[in-house]
Amino acid sequence: MSISVLDALRPAKKPVLLGLVAVLGLLVGVWVHGKYFSDRSPVQPIEFSHTVHATDNEIPCQHCHIYAATTPVAGVPSVSKCIGCHRSLPDTRETPEILKLNAYWENREPIPWIKVHDVADFVHFTHKRHIKADVECRECHGPVETMDRVTRVATMKMPWCVECHTEREVEHGRDCWTCHK
Amino acid sequence: MVSTFVEKLKAYSKPGYYDEFEYHWTMTIDLDRCTGCEACVVACQAENNLPIVGEKRYARNREIKWIRIERYWEGDYPDVKMGFIPILCQHCDDAPCETVCPVFATYHNRDGLNTQVYNRCIGTRSCAIYCPYEVRYFNWFTYTWDEPLEQQLNPDVSVREKGVMEKCTFCIQRIRIAKDNAKDDDKRRVRDGEVVPACVQSCPTEAMVFGDSNDPEAEVSKKMKNERGYKVLEELNTTPSVVYLKKAHA
Amino acid sequence: MSKISRRDLLQYIGAGGIGAVGGVLYGESIERPVELLVPQVVPPEDFSPGIATWYNTVCNQCSAGCGISVRIREGKAKKIEGNPVHPVSQGRLCARGQSGLNALYNPDRIRAPLTNAGQRGTGSFHPIDWDEALTTIGSRISRLKIEDDASRVRLLTGRVRGHLDELFAQFMDLLGSQHYQQYDFTNPSALLAANRISFGTEQLPYYDIKNADLLLSFGADYLGTWISPVHHGLAYGHMRQGRAARRGKTVQVEPRMSLSGAAADEWIAARPGTEGLLALGLAHVLVSDGHYSGSDRAEWSNALQAHSPSVVSAATDVPEDKILQLAREFASSKASLAIAGGATTAGTNAVASAVAVNALNQLAGNLGQPGGIIFNADQAFSTSPDAKPVGMQGILDLVAAMESGEVDVLLLHDSNPVFSLPDGVGFREAIDKVPLVVALSSFRDETTELADFVLPTNIYLESWGDDVPDPGVGFPVASISQPVVAKLYDTLSAGDIILSLARQIGGELPIQMSWGSMEEFVRERWRAEFDKRESDAAEQDFEEFWQAAIAAGVWGQPGATAGDQLVPSAASTIAAISDPVSEFAGSESEYPFVLHPFLTATFLDGRGANLPWLQELPDPMTSVVYGSWVELNPATADELGIEEGDVLEVVSTAGSVRVPALIFPAIRPGVVAMPVGQGHEAYGRYATDRGVNPIHIVAAQMDAEAGDLAWAATRVKIRNTGERMQVVKIGGVSRTLGRQILGPADGHA
Repeated sequence: MSISVLDALRPAKKPVLLGLVAVLGLLVGVWVHGKYFSDRSPVQPIEFSHTVHATDNEIPCQHCHIYAATTPVAGVPSVSKCIGCHRSLPDTRETPEILKLNAYWENREPIPWIKVHDVADFVHFTHKRHIKADVECRECHGPVETMDRVTRVATMKMPWCVECHTEREVEHGRDCWTCHK
Repeated sequence: MVSTFVEKLKAYSKPGYYDEFEYHWTMTIDLDRCTGCEACVVACQAENNLPIVGEKRYARNREIKWIRIERYWEGDYPDVKMGFIPILCQHCDDAPCETVCPVFATYHNRDGLNTQVYNRCIGTRSCAIYCPYEVRYFNWFTYTWDEPLEQQLNPDVSVREKGVMEKCTFCIQRIRIAKDNAKDDDKRRVRDGEVVPACVQSCPTEAMVFGDSNDPEAEVSKKMKNERGYKVLEELNTTPSVVYLKKAHA
Repeated sequence: MSKISRRDLLQYIGAGGIGAVGGVLYGESIERPVELLVPQVVPPEDFSPGIATWYNTVCNQCSAGCGISVRIREGKAKKIEGNPVHPVSQGRLCARGQSGLNALYNPDRIRAPLTNAGQRGTGSFHPIDWDEALTTIGSRISRLKIEDDASRVRLLTGRVRGHLDELFAQFMDLLGSQHYQQYDFTNPSALLAANRISFGTEQLPYYDIKNADLLLSFGADYLGTWISPVHHGLAYGHMRQGRAARRGKTVQVEPRMSLSGAAADEWIAARPGTEGLLALGLAHVLVSDGHYSGSDRAEWSNALQAHSPSVVSAATDVPEDKILQLAREFASSKASLAIAGGATTAGTNAVASAVAVNALNQLAGNLGQPGGIIFNADQAFSTSPDAKPVGMQGILDLVAAMESGEVDVLLLHDSNPVFSLPDGVGFREAIDKVPLVVALSSFRDETTELADFVLPTNIYLESWGDDVPDPGVGFPVASISQPVVAKLYDTLSAGDIILSLARQIGGELPIQMSWGSMEEFVRERWRAEFDKRESDAAEQDFEEFWQAAIAAGVWGQPGATAGDQLVPSAASTIAAISDPVSEFAGSESEYPFVLHPFLTATFLDGRGANLPWLQELPDPMTSVVYGSWVELNPATADELGIEEGDVLEVVSTAGSVRVPALIFPAIRPGVVAMPVGQGHEAYGRYATDRGVNPIHIVAAQMDAEAGDLAWAATRVKIRNTGERMQVVKIGGVSRTLGRQILGPADGHA
C-alpha cells in the first residue's frame, strides 16, 4: 500500500508550514524595513534645497563640492563657502534657514549635516577616481538637483557597486582589495 | 559559451590563478644587515591598526604581530650564535592558505599579493593551519584601545572585529595610494621606490627592499639575484614572494 | 485543496506577522548608526580631506635626536617615520621612535595642573588652575629672590640640549642660583670623561662605523641602546653589505650577548669588569709586535708593559691565542675602530676602561680617519657655556643639599632619579625635607608622585624646540622641533612654563626673558645664529630661511667638517693608562654571581615602559613581553636545578627582588642578567606594578672620575623560592633543528 508524500508529511505539515510562513514573513519584514523604515532622507539641521541652488540658480555641483575631483572625500562645502554667497544676497538674508546659517557662522560652529550617502568604514572609496572616470554625479546620487531634501536613491550596498564595476569593465574592478581596506 | 567556460575552468585550476602578474610585489630581506631590532614590528603595528592584545592573551599565544622576529640559537656556550629572521606573510604564489578557504576570503590577486578579505572571512581558521610560516593571526576577541589611543588608528586600514583572520598585506593601502597617484600622472606605471611598506621604511639597517620584480630595473629585482638569496621552507614549493639573503660569514 | 479553518488561517497570519516584525527588528539592528558629515568652518590653506600632510620634527624618545616626519590626517598624528633629509635618521626609525604616538595619545597623560594639597607622596592629587599654580610657585620663588636666597632654588632636568637648555640656564642665572643640573641614566659619563682625558674634549666624537672594516665593541650595544642606535644601524648595514666586495667584521666583548653581540661575527665573554684590561692586552700586542710605529712607541711600551697577553689572559679568561689573533686583526685591518659602552663603562673602573679603548684607537691611527673616530666640527650653536653635572655625582650633591635643608624649592623636569638610581642614594628621603617640589611632567612617574605641584607638559610632538644631535655626524647640524598636532590637553611646553614663571616672579626676569612663547624664543635665537653667519651665506631673507628650516626640520652644513682634523697626541692617554680593575659590591664567596643589568631596546632605562606597543613588543633576545626575568647560563641552571619560570630571589648587598628565571645560552656562567625598564611603582596603567627594577638592588657605587653610577659592579646570590611564574614569550622552539630557516647549509660553522 503506497502512501503519498503529502499524506506522510501530514502530521508534520502544520508546524513546517507555519515555519515557512514565518521565514517568508521575516524576509518581507527585512525588505519592508529597507524600503520604508530606513532613513533615506533624514531631516537636516538646515533645510538646504538643492532644487533652489542647482536647478533654479544653476550652480554646478563642483562649485560647492570642491574636493570631489581632487581628493578621496567629496564632503560638503565649508560654512565659509555658504556665508560667502549668502551674506551678499539681500533677498535671502532674513529667511529662517539663513538665520540658522548665520548663527552657525557667528559661533564659528560647523553645521552638523547628517550623512546620507554613507559607505562602510571598511570600504575604500575615492570620489576623485570616479569623477576622473567620467561617472556623473547623478549616476550614483540620483537627480540631486531636483531634490528639496537629499534622498538616497541607491542602496549603497556591494552588489550595486559591483554591477557598475562589471558593466564598465573597470580595471581590477572586481578584485576585493580594490575596495576592501 | 561552453568553450569559454572550459577555458576559465582550466585557468582557475592552474595553481596560482595567474601566470602573468601586472605587478609582482616582492620583498628581499638581507639577514646580514638585519639586527633583530624590531623597528619593523612596531612600524607595522602603527600602520595597520594592530590591536594591543594584552598580557593574559599573549600568554595564551594569541598575539597578533603581522611581522615577527624569530630568533634561533646555534651551538652552545661559549660557541653560541644567535640568528634573527623577520617572518611575515610570504605572499606565496602557490599559497596553501588560498586553497583551503571555503568562502574565498583569501585569494591571489593580479599583483601577486595574497589577499585577505575581512568581510568574507567566517573564521574557520583553516588557513592558519595550512600556512607553513604561521603568519596568519586570528582575532579571538574584538580588541579595544584605551581612549585616546584610538586617535592614532590609520583611516586607510580596516579595524578588524572578532572572528576574522588577518595577516600582512604588504601595506596594500600604500600600494593603492601609489597606484592612484600613478594613474593621475598620465596613467603611468608605479615607479620603483614609490611603494614602501611600513616595515621597509623603518628598518634602520636598510635590510629590507620592496618593489616590483616584473621591473628588471627595480632594486628588488637585482637584490633577488644575489648569490646569498634563498626562500624559507623552499622545499614546500609554496613559491614565496619574499627572498632572504643569508647572513654572510666573516 | 482542503479548506483552511479559521483557526489555522489566524495561526498562519500570526506566524507571518511575527516573522515580519522580526524582520523589521532585524533590519533595524543591522542598520549602521547615523553618521554626521561635519564640514570645516573655514578650511585651512593646505587642507585636502583624505590626504595626509607631513610635518618634520625631532624625536625625544632617547638622546640620539633623530629627525622624524609625522603623518597627520585631519589633525591627528597617525604615523611617525624617520625624516629622510635628517642626517642622523636618514628616513629610518627605531621601535621606540615609532612608539611616540603611544606617548602622545597615552590614556594616562596628565591633562591639567595638579596639586596634592599637603598630602605629598600619597598619590592623591586634585586639579588646579594654571594661574593659581603659577602664582603660588612664582611668589614663593620671588620671595626667595628678594631675600637674596635664590640659591635655595634648584632645577633638575633630564638630558636637555638645544635652546631649552639655554632657557633653563638663563632662568636660573637671572634668579641668582647656580643649581641647574641634569640627570639621565643613559648619559655616557665615562666616555665623556675618558674623551676629556684622551682628546681634550668632552664632546662625543663621531664613531664612523659605516666605513670601518673591523669594529671591536667592548660592551657597547650600538645597535640596540648605545648613544644613537638608528644611525648606527644605518652605518652597520652599510658596513656589512653597502660596499662592493668589502664586508666589515664586528667583534663584541661582553659577558652577556646583547643585540649587537648577536649581530657580531665573534662574541667574546670576558670576565665581567675586565674588558678594559683586555683592551690593554691588545694594545700591548699592537706595540710589542711592531704593528705600531709611531714616535712615542717607547712611551707606549712602558705604559703597557704589565699587560702582556699571558697576564691579561689569566685575568680576563680569554685564551691567549685569541688575544694575539684579535690584536693582529685589529692591526692589519684597513680601518679598525674600537668602542666602549654598556657594562664596560659602568663598573668602578669605567673611565680607565674607556681610556684603554681610546688607546686602541690611537694605536690604530684611526683618529680623524674614515672608519675611525671623527671629531665633530664646531656645533651648530652652543647653548650653555658651563658644563653641568649629568651623572649620579650631581644627584648625590643634590641629595646632600636637600638633607641639610639647603633647598627650598626643587623644580623637576623629565627626570626620574627615584626609579633609575638605587635606593641607597636616598633621593626619596631627602626630598621630604624640601618645602616645595614642582614637577614639570607629562606622566605621573615615581619622581613626579613626590611633587606638591604638577605642571603638565606637552609631549614633544606638541612642542616647539630645537636640538643639536650628540654625537654629531661630523658636520654642524641643528634640528627644529615643531608641534605636529594641536595640543590635546590643558598643558604647556616646558619652555612656556619657564617663561610664565619668569613673568610671575617678576623683577629682572620677564625683562630679560621677554619672549611671549617658546616658539618666539627659538625663532629669535635662530635669527641670532642666522645673523652671525650672514656674511658666509648668500643674501637670504631670514623669514625664507626659517620657513625652509621648519619645513625640513633640520639645518646642516655638510661641507664644514673639522678642517684639519687635529689629531690629539697620545701623551695624555699614555699617562692615564692604569690597571682597570673593577670592584664589586659583595664578596665572591657570599655573592657568587655578578649582576649584569642591561638597557633594553624596548624600554631603554624605563622611560618607555608606559607605552603599550613597547610592553607588547617581544624583547629582541628573549622574546619576553610584559614582565621581567633573570637570565642564567644553561650549565649553571642545571647545576642549581633551576628551570625556566622558577621564581628566584636575587639578593645583593643593597636589597633583593623576586623574578622568574630564564635559561639564556649566551651568558657567562657566574653572571646573571636582568633587563632594566620594568618595576615601576607609578607611571600609568601599562607600567605600574609590572616586573622588577634591578637598579634597586644595584649598590650605590660610582666611578669617581666619571661621576656616575657604576651599575655593573654589584654581586648577587640567588635562591630558588620554589614558586613558579609563567614567563610570557612568543611560543615555538628557538633552535632550527636542521630546518634550513636561516639559509641553506653550506659547510660553514
